[in-house]
Amino acid sequence: MKLIIGLGVILGLIAVLPAAEQVFAAGSEVGEYLDRKAAIWGLFYRLMIIAFTVGTVVSGLIVWLVLRFRESNPKAKPTSYEASGSW
Amino acid sequence: MSGHSTWPEWVYVGVVIALLCYVGAEAWNIERIVEHVPEDAEIIKVTGQQWLWTFEHEDGTKEIGELHVEKGKAYKFEITSKDVIHSFNIHDYVVLLDAVPGKINTVWFSPTEAGEFDIQCREYCGLIHYNMRGTLIVEDNGA
Repeated sequence: MKLIIGLGVILGLIAVLPAAEQVFAAGSEVGEYLDRKAAIWGLFYRLMIIAFTVGTVVSGLIVWLVLRFRESNPKAKPTSYEASGSW
Repeated sequence: MSGHSTWPEWVYVGVVIALLCYVGAEAWNIERIVEHVPEDAEIIKVTGQQWLWTFEHEDGTKEIGELHVEKGKAYKFEITSKDVIHSFNIHDYVVLLDAVPGKINTVWFSPTEAGEFDIQCREYCGLIHYNMRGTLIVEDNGA
């Protein structure tokens, strides 16, 4: 369990650190202004990539689950409850 | 507890947490950068009223329905309303902020290209809302 929590923390840090680096560098240039259009649309595209990737994985997993564990699948095996007939 | 292995589930949970952290940090970071107003930004007072926009520059110059700015300079809009809630939008520069009576909301931008761009009210504000438009004219004086 500790290993798993540690893994989660490391993954979280890997995701956060690049963003944290940019925070302290922001707005330091004189006379050079942020292109808010590029910044905002860039954020939108990055978040959309994540959203569609997650959506694809989750919906793919659901489709696989439904097909793999349908009752008519030749590979389907009864659960221990179903095999014994008692719950 | 069942006897099956749970590590794939924990990996899944870890990946979800990592993605949520990334999404939150990125959004927070970009919002922070976008809201950082340059110190030399020129202030333009924007007032919405049914159904037109008026603008007042720092030197007192007033404009109605048209706003003249210079390419490459930074401008800070101080937006308010005289009557109902409007929303000040320059679509091409991703400027969008509500104009609320009795309140001054601020947003800044810096035009990167010369030309004419639409200004539009984005909050339904009455019968002629659809035609509460203006024109942003960006002049290239530095060329």
